[in-house]
Amino acid sequence: MTFRPWGMSKGLASSNNFGFITSMETNNSNAAVEVSSLTKVFKSGMRKTPLVAVRDVSFTVKTGEVYGLIGPNGCGKSTTMKIMLGLLKPTVGSASIFGQSSEAVGSRQNVGFLPENPYFYKHLTGRETLHFYGRLCGLAGSELKDRTETMLKLTGLQNAATRRVGGYSKGMLQRIGLAQALIHDPRLLILDEPTAGVDPVGSRTIRDLIFELKQRGITIVVTSHLLEQMQEVCDRVGIMSNGRMVREGKIEDLISVENQTEIILEDAPDELIREIRQLVDKHHSRVVTLGKPRTTLERLFIESTAQTDDREAP
Amino acid sequence: MSSPSSSLSTYSSFSLSRIWTLATNTVTQLLRMKILVFLAVFSVIVVAAGFSFPAMSPEQQLKLLKDVSLGALQIFSMVIAIAATALLLPRDLEDRTLYTILSKPVPRYEYLIGKLLGVLLLLGGGLLIMDLIFSSIVWLKQSLIISNQIAALRSEQQDVPDNIAAIKAFTGQYGLTWSLHAGVWSIFLKASVIAALSLLISCFASSTLFTIVVSLGFTIAGHGQQLMREWFVSKLSGFWEQTIGLVMTLICPDLSLFDLVEAAIRGDVIQLAALGSVTGMALLYIVGYTAVAYLFFADKEL
Amino acid sequence: MKTKFGIGIRPLIGTVLLVLLGLVQMPLEFRLSDSLREKKLIPSPPDLSLRESLGQMGFAAVLGGLRSLIASITYLQAYVAFENIEWGKVDSLMTLTTRLQPQEPLYWDDASWHMAYNAASSYQKDESLRLPLRDKLYRDYVQRGIDILNEGLTYLPDNPRLLTRLGDIYNANSASRRQPDARKAAHYYLEAYKNGAREFYERMAAYQLALLDDRESQQQAYDILRRYYDKGRYFDTMNTLFPELEEKLGIPKEKRVPGPVKFQSR
Repeated sequence: MTFRPWGMSKGLASSNNFGFITSMETNNSNAAVEVSSLTKVFKSGMRKTPLVAVRDVSFTVKTGEVYGLIGPNGCGKSTTMKIMLGLLKPTVGSASIFGQSSEAVGSRQNVGFLPENPYFYKHLTGRETLHFYGRLCGLAGSELKDRTETMLKLTGLQNAATRRVGGYSKGMLQRIGLAQALIHDPRLLILDEPTAGVDPVGSRTIRDLIFELKQRGITIVVTSHLLEQMQEVCDRVGIMSNGRMVREGKIEDLISVENQTEIILEDAPDELIREIRQLVDKHHSRVVTLGKPRTTLERLFIESTAQTDDREAP
Repeated sequence: MSSPSSSLSTYSSFSLSRIWTLATNTVTQLLRMKILVFLAVFSVIVVAAGFSFPAMSPEQQLKLLKDVSLGALQIFSMVIAIAATALLLPRDLEDRTLYTILSKPVPRYEYLIGKLLGVLLLLGGGLLIMDLIFSSIVWLKQSLIISNQIAALRSEQQDVPDNIAAIKAFTGQYGLTWSLHAGVWSIFLKASVIAALSLLISCFASSTLFTIVVSLGFTIAGHGQQLMREWFVSKLSGFWEQTIGLVMTLICPDLSLFDLVEAAIRGDVIQLAALGSVTGMALLYIVGYTAVAYLFFADKEL
Repeated sequence: MKTKFGIGIRPLIGTVLLVLLGLVQMPLEFRLSDSLREKKLIPSPPDLSLRESLGQMGFAAVLGGLRSLIASITYLQAYVAFENIEWGKVDSLMTLTTRLQPQEPLYWDDASWHMAYNAASSYQKDESLRLPLRDKLYRDYVQRGIDILNEGLTYLPDNPRLLTRLGDIYNANSASRRQPDARKAAHYYLEAYKNGAREFYERMAAYQLALLDDRESQQQAYDILRRYYDKGRYFDTMNTLFPELEEKLGIPKEKRVPGPVKFQSR
């Protein structure tokens, strides 16, 4: 039996989030990421009006938590991520990684990034790719070799390590992407649509990996359109729309519907159901829905297609 | 995995290791694009040039061999310098490989230096191999010519030491000399300057094609620098012509400074001091263009 | 950080640096190119009139550092024209070749050879022409060959190869007898020898000097040949010339060269 309170949704943040929550809710010394009053304006040519991609966004990601950044296409998530990674400079405001400005190259020593649709040099093999990125992070010699083999094992790519990345499938590209993001053992992981284009088995593997990394204390910022998954893995989320942070807070607080209660019964006879209905009427409440709970298509897929080792698949 | 209390290595703002990693990756990338097909084509050209036109005088045969070989070296090196460099940055940007690299602790100037160094390594290595091939063919041809001429002297009973020495000296001047290697070095310098210029252009160019076209334009202008200086600046009275001429003179490198090939083919001695000056000039261009490239690239929105 | 007009500071600095780089490098370029041109290590910029002769592509190739290759190509074209007995075309192509590479003695030599020998002899043997015309053309083309060599010497002063060719054209003993003038031949052979030609040409000068009537020339010829003799270097021509010169110069018998000599090099 699962018990989940239902009711009106309540978020801790309103549509104008100026960082009030941040200052109340976080201890800055525990902040892995701090984005403060971030605004990014793109100027594209003399005649076109400037594009405001991010408007006055503030949020904090605590060390060790999984933070989800969600929103429709074009809401400013990617721009915010790029600013965190130093790939773009803010027009107004700032972003910092473990207390260091995101514009400082050194801040990236602690960051691993998995881009959306990761693209790596096609001419390199899987192993060479990890060596390449490992060296860029300062790894060398036997340490680099060990880390490379560990990452290949973690992501299940040992058998494909000598193949050129140009021949990898979408799922394999995601995995090599994760491997290069983790090769230097970063404290912060930024994942941009980590399960995009990946089948449910692979997607679940990545989800499980996120949980494992979280256990180890790695801070994770993740974006995804797959809200079910975000719901499963994230501790806190920020919802962006039109460049603004419109909602932010803990998952449980955001999605719980307060004035509703869910009860799931097993082997309940009709008589019991009738009695429950009567009790509800007696207390002037209302049965919103009564019926058979559903499994999810994802669960069904996984149960039906249990492969011995999905990592063997090309 | 270890606990994430700190990353495995500490960051330093300048790392030769990172630059070398980027450089060797660039070399691998270009090699796996079969750029060495040029080497094979070059070898065929050299052999064909070396053994065609038997009716020509020996000195002209040798001159033609050197002209064709060094001409091919020049063309190949310029094409590779422009195309290879033009491919790098725009491609990394289009493919978003650049994001993954710059999301690592890699300063943008190291990225640029690494890419340029990679192209220079490829150019240098390729030219070295082609120099070896070409020198071997010249040596072979020269030896054949000398032995034929000595045989002819012998048949006329004129094969006295004086005559043999004269033949060797004369043919030697048209054959393999140290100047030829200096000529190849000057080709490398020219190609390096063109590569640095292409890198600069690619920092604000929107595509590979744009970079190639503009780089080619600057390369042509660079070769005509001396003409431009003499013609536009001194003879034309129009304000705009003079301004454009002056701007081109300021921006374009004088690539004719690196045309030591002609003297090398003639067998003239190319003094070390002259070679040093030309190398110094090339370094000035390369460092200058790379510095400017960084300043354009540093704030480029990705 | 951006300036008031939204342009980044760094690109602005970059532009300024590019201009500064140009300002710094311009005088260095001037100095270096003058120095290299003086040492004949780089060629002067091609004359714009070459554009007509070479066409756009050829001119661009010359500008692009392929001057030597283009010169080789025009030289080959001249050779083909020679095989086709098109002397006008040979002359214009060789002129183009020498303009492209005026520092290459081979081209001046061959250009002169084509005119003074090939073209001149061709017209001389052309029976379709009247004899006076044949002789005139012969003389004109020999002179053309001489003019080419003299022009070459303006670019390559004291070049031994060009000097010996001039000597050959004026050589009064030569079977081909272009424009026999023993005095000029001797002068050019001696100049060539002084500038590095083989010692053979010094002896050639002596042979030419021996043909002249004035005592000074004859004495000079004798001195040259006697020097070789005293070093133990004997040449068959000495057997004819020593008695002749010793007689003309009145050398006392006891100081004369004893008996015939047999050719003996070092």
